[in-house]
Amino acid sequence: MLLPACAIVAFFLLLPFVLSFPMSLTNRRLIPRPVRFVGFDNYIQVLTDPIFWRALFNVTYFTVLVVPVQCGFALAMALLINQKIPGRNFFRGALFLPAITSIAVVCVIWGTLFQYPTGPLNQIIGFLTFGLAGPIDWLGNPNSSMPAIVLLSAWQAYGFQMVVYLAGLQGIPGDLYEAARLDGASTWQRFRFVTWPGLRQTNIFVIIITTIQAFKLFTQVNILTQGGPRDSTVTVVQYMYSVGFVGQKLGLASAVAIILFFIVLVISLVQRAVLRDPK
Amino acid sequence: MTAIDTPLPGTSDRFPMIKIVSIAIITFVVVSPLFLLAVASLKPDRFQILAEMGSFKAFWVDNPTLQNYRDILTFSGNQPFARYLTNSMIVLVFTLAGGMAFNSMAAFVLAWGRIPGRAIILTAMIGLYIVPQESIVLSLLNIVNSVGLADSFSAQILPFWASPLYVFLLYQFFSQVPRDLYDAAIVDGASPFQIYWKVFMPISLPALATVAILLGIETWNQYLWPLLVTQSNYARPISVGIAGFFGADSIYWNLAMAASVMMMIPVLVLYLMFQKWFVSSVISSGVKG
Repeated sequence: MLLPACAIVAFFLLLPFVLSFPMSLTNRRLIPRPVRFVGFDNYIQVLTDPIFWRALFNVTYFTVLVVPVQCGFALAMALLINQKIPGRNFFRGALFLPAITSIAVVCVIWGTLFQYPTGPLNQIIGFLTFGLAGPIDWLGNPNSSMPAIVLLSAWQAYGFQMVVYLAGLQGIPGDLYEAARLDGASTWQRFRFVTWPGLRQTNIFVIIITTIQAFKLFTQVNILTQGGPRDSTVTVVQYMYSVGFVGQKLGLASAVAIILFFIVLVISLVQRAVLRDPK
Repeated sequence: MTAIDTPLPGTSDRFPMIKIVSIAIITFVVVSPLFLLAVASLKPDRFQILAEMGSFKAFWVDNPTLQNYRDILTFSGNQPFARYLTNSMIVLVFTLAGGMAFNSMAAFVLAWGRIPGRAIILTAMIGLYIVPQESIVLSLLNIVNSVGLADSFSAQILPFWASPLYVFLLYQFFSQVPRDLYDAAIVDGASPFQIYWKVFMPISLPALATVAILLGIETWNQYLWPLLVTQSNYARPISVGIAGFFGADSIYWNLAMAASVMMMIPVLVLYLMFQKWFVSSVISSGVKG
């Protein structure tokens, strides 16, 4: 009974994982061809490729933007619907809808929202600034392309962080709020001194999960920008995809895959260390 | 998830109406892109969709028509959406059937079986779930191609019949089942498979539902792997099909909208039926790091 699952994991997960190490030391191509051992050439080639560093910079930039935007928005929504109001479950259910929406669908929706120059987002910006801020070519301008990807990614995914925050908020003992109220604490003070410290573990958890996901950014970039304009949205996975699949250089792409694995591994280890820390 | 439904003590309730109205407005604004999608899919002209997107007409359609849906389902040229949708369904059904069976059987044995190497297998499983799918896909593609599964349904189904995350989630649940239940079944002379099927499966519905929802959403929304492994329309799923709209110089937004709605409907229906389980299962997925 254990055998099928073990066989599948061994063949479709462990084997490709293990094989990618030796493969990264060869000049293997996707199409069958004589393979030569090339040592660490692939790693040298990747690490000296400015586009790889651009990709690493881009995902870091994406992460730095998306983590606060997505988690902050998720926390705001969690605080909003964590109140004693009728229809709370309805609001929670509605706010969770983007989280079950496929990224391909999200790209279709936001592709129109980002339209230049007359899309809804540009109209709203024009309206709010009385036409002072000109329309932005969201996905077509290298300066705004990554922030645009951040916006749609955060919108798609915040639902998960929202429900985790809701659970975290429920875990804060109610008498703490009662005590704070008796001491005359304002709403802000209650948030600052009761809610925020009470969410410490939740915050760490949510931030690390979001960071790992952010480093694996691919689908929305692949669909909407293919890494452009001018490499402003190339990510590590998109880079791996274009080297290994479009460019057919499997050995080289394996080196990227292994670098990606170690990045994720390091973040996971940091997560473990931080979450184990009791204080 | 019942914890979330109990009101938080200490929240003030001075202006209930203002609060509800503002929450309703915020919720509507946040979810409105989905609403725009549904409305736009009923407009037959792609230029009209773009022209009206920036105005309040985006929320309204004068002459709703299902023309886009008809076009997309009957069109059989470069982007056969009826086929993509069927493909996604096939992949989903077979992945779920195998995945539920194999993940739960493995979890049961790991939790209760007395077999050599159990601890090692369990450790290996936990270790493997930090390996991101993204970092093995190209290597996996190479393997799949070399065993003759390129451009097939099997390539999209078989690898997902077992996953460390789901084995581990179910293992955790199974291990918490009281020992007496297992012992009683043994005394009754039940075989391990009977214990698994007749005792453990029926009492594990919440955990099984969690895994089914996670695996279902994951399968339905797969993008990178089918993008690599499907070279033709033969087994291509709808996610990759929708992405195909963006390759063109001028995007047929009307058709893209209709295709997107069709991709959402199955998930939406299940979500409306099992909302609570969806929400709680997504929290469990956070275990994955």
